Amino acid sequence: MIPLKYNVRSLTVRKATTFATGFGIALVVFVLSASLMLAAGIKKTFASGAREDVAVVMRKGSDNEMSSSLENANVSLVSAAPGAKKDTVSGEIVMVLAMEKVGAPGVTNVQLRGVTDAAQRIRPEVKVVEGRLPQPGRDEVMVGQRIHRRFANVELGKSFELRKNRPVTVVGVFTSEGSSTESEIWCDLDVLRGSFAREGSVSSIRVKLDSAAAFDGFKAAMEGDKQYGFMALRETEYVKKQSEDTAAFIGIIGTLISVFFAIGAMIGAMITMYAAVANRQREIGTLRALGFSRRSILLSFLVESTTLALFGGLLGAAASMAMKFVRFSMMNFASWSEVVFSFEPTPSVILTSLTFAAAMGLFGGFFPALRAARVSPIQAMRG
Amino acid sequence: MDTATEKAPASHRDKAEALVSLRGIVKIYERGGEQLKILDGLDLEIAKGSYEALMGPSGSGKSTLLNLIAGLDRPTAGSIDIGGKRIDQLNESQLARWRADTIGFIFQSYNLMPVLTAVENVELPLLLTKVPSSERRQRAQTALRVVGLEDRMDHFPRQLSGGQEQRVAIARAIVNDPALIVADEPTGDLDRKSADDILGILEQLNRELGKTIVMVTHDPAAAERAKVIRRLDKGQLK
Ligand SMILES: Nc1ncnc2c1ncn2[C@@H]1O[C@H](COP(=O)(O)OP(=O)(O)O)[C@@H](O)[C@H]1O
Ligand SMILES: [Mg+2]
Repeated sequence: MIPLKYNVRSLTVRKATTFATGFGIALVVFVLSASLMLAAGIKKTFASGAREDVAVVMRKGSDNEMSSSLENANVSLVSAAPGAKKDTVSGEIVMVLAMEKVGAPGVTNVQLRGVTDAAQRIRPEVKVVEGRLPQPGRDEVMVGQRIHRRFANVELGKSFELRKNRPVTVVGVFTSEGSSTESEIWCDLDVLRGSFAREGSVSSIRVKLDSAAAFDGFKAAMEGDKQYGFMALRETEYVKKQSEDTAAFIGIIGTLISVFFAIGAMIGAMITMYAAVANRQREIGTLRALGFSRRSILLSFLVESTTLALFGGLLGAAASMAMKFVRFSMMNFASWSEVVFSFEPTPSVILTSLTFAAAMGLFGGFFPALRAARVSPIQAMRG
Repeated sequence: MDTATEKAPASHRDKAEALVSLRGIVKIYERGGEQLKILDGLDLEIAKGSYEALMGPSGSGKSTLLNLIAGLDRPTAGSIDIGGKRIDQLNESQLARWRADTIGFIFQSYNLMPVLTAVENVELPLLLTKVPSSERRQRAQTALRVVGLEDRMDHFPRQLSGGQEQRVAIARAIVNDPALIVADEPTGDLDRKSADDILGILEQLNRELGKTIVMVTHDPAAAERAKVIRRLDKGQLK
């Protein structure tokens, strides 16, 4: 076999072209890696807050909490259902607010959740990190850390209008271990009802179950009584449904863009390798004269283009790691409101990106390698 | 130095001793629909242990003939027997394998891999043999010592003079202990002094190590140092 150092050093000798080609591949891998990281981030954001032993009860046929409406009286019905923990039942109202984004024109939807103190008993990870909890009955809100200061007046100590002439003051900032709840605004359930004339109703009822296994019995009881028209989902299942479209969309768009760019980068790699083969006719002819087979020449040049692509791939993947520090906000299709995501570097994202880079090198380098393999050993004799 | 007239018949005398045996060699190139008959029914025998110079006008087909002997190309007609093997009947990959085992190459422009050091260049042919990797470096170093380059082992070709590059190439040509060494204008790119050094080494390889050498040259001074001088003209050897 022709030694690997022959290829690696040939790449380092032509630094400029190696870097130019590597950079093109790095760009593609960056785009791919970043979008895969984002898709992973979206999944993680939604999945992290969800529990197997929490059920979400909504009106049958609703896609999400916002489009669901139940009577407040149903809360006691839910707490009496088999498997439900009576003291951790949380009736909540969810709606969206159109808010002005800081530093960008136009308005964006933000999810607003009206809660009682049961909301936090179900979600113990929700913690106030600045300020304090809103007090029941007062026109106060707390905002998730991911949207804090991202919208006009959504800032500790400032006020904004829930609706015309209904100002509320931001008294706290909370976190929830990175879940999508961190992109919400929470206020007292009764304040929200009063502001929007929704007395006596809730969007959804969250309930902690005795155990994850208790869900089936609970669901059967809730949905069995057709006159109420209830629908019960595990929180994990609900959250998965909410995120899968968005994650799939990002994954597909990212892959499409990457494939599109990859064609360009692959042509770049191909041109580079064709030039390398043309410049090294005599070297290749000499290797053939010495007795190296066509197959080992082919392999050697495939190794060279793949090494080049992997170099670019590593560069791109390393650069995409910096995206870890970037927050990305986008519309979640299921709720039509803005959720802020982070880029999540996972081993599988890195592996996929590098495999993609290697494949680019392999495919881009194939025809030049074939040409190299066809160089006649007589080329060695030509001056 | 002896001339062809004395030594050539000597090789004909004992056919069992012939290492190279060409019969009725025809080589036709086609160019622009035109057929060029470069070699026309050529016969040649080279005895084992001989050192032969191949001379002739430019374009007379010296390189063409050398390529045939070295198994780089195949004749249009005729048979080529080297060490008892009919190489004109081998296919591409068999020929490559055969070259690796049998031929040591010395080129006019040295043809070293520019990204490999002297010793790495010399090691290249050993990668095609069963020589274990631990032994390769040692053998390459020995070959470099034979050509007097023990102090240049880790130099890259660009750090060497033309004469030194050609000596590395000679080391590469002998490292496998091939049956036959072919050299196409090995001193063509060198100044007189370096050329003489190279010719001295070739002579030494022939005399002391018994290497069979075929060298194409148009330099009479170079040809003089071979044991046999052959002239190619109009597709035939004289
Ligand atoms: N592959 C080829 N196709 C066509 N013509 C060739 C080819 N190789 C060599 N020739 C021609 O054959 C003749 C002999 O070439 P060559 O053997 O290189 O001569 P020399 O080495 O004696 O100078 C030249 O006229 C050359 O142009
Ligand atoms: Mg020639």
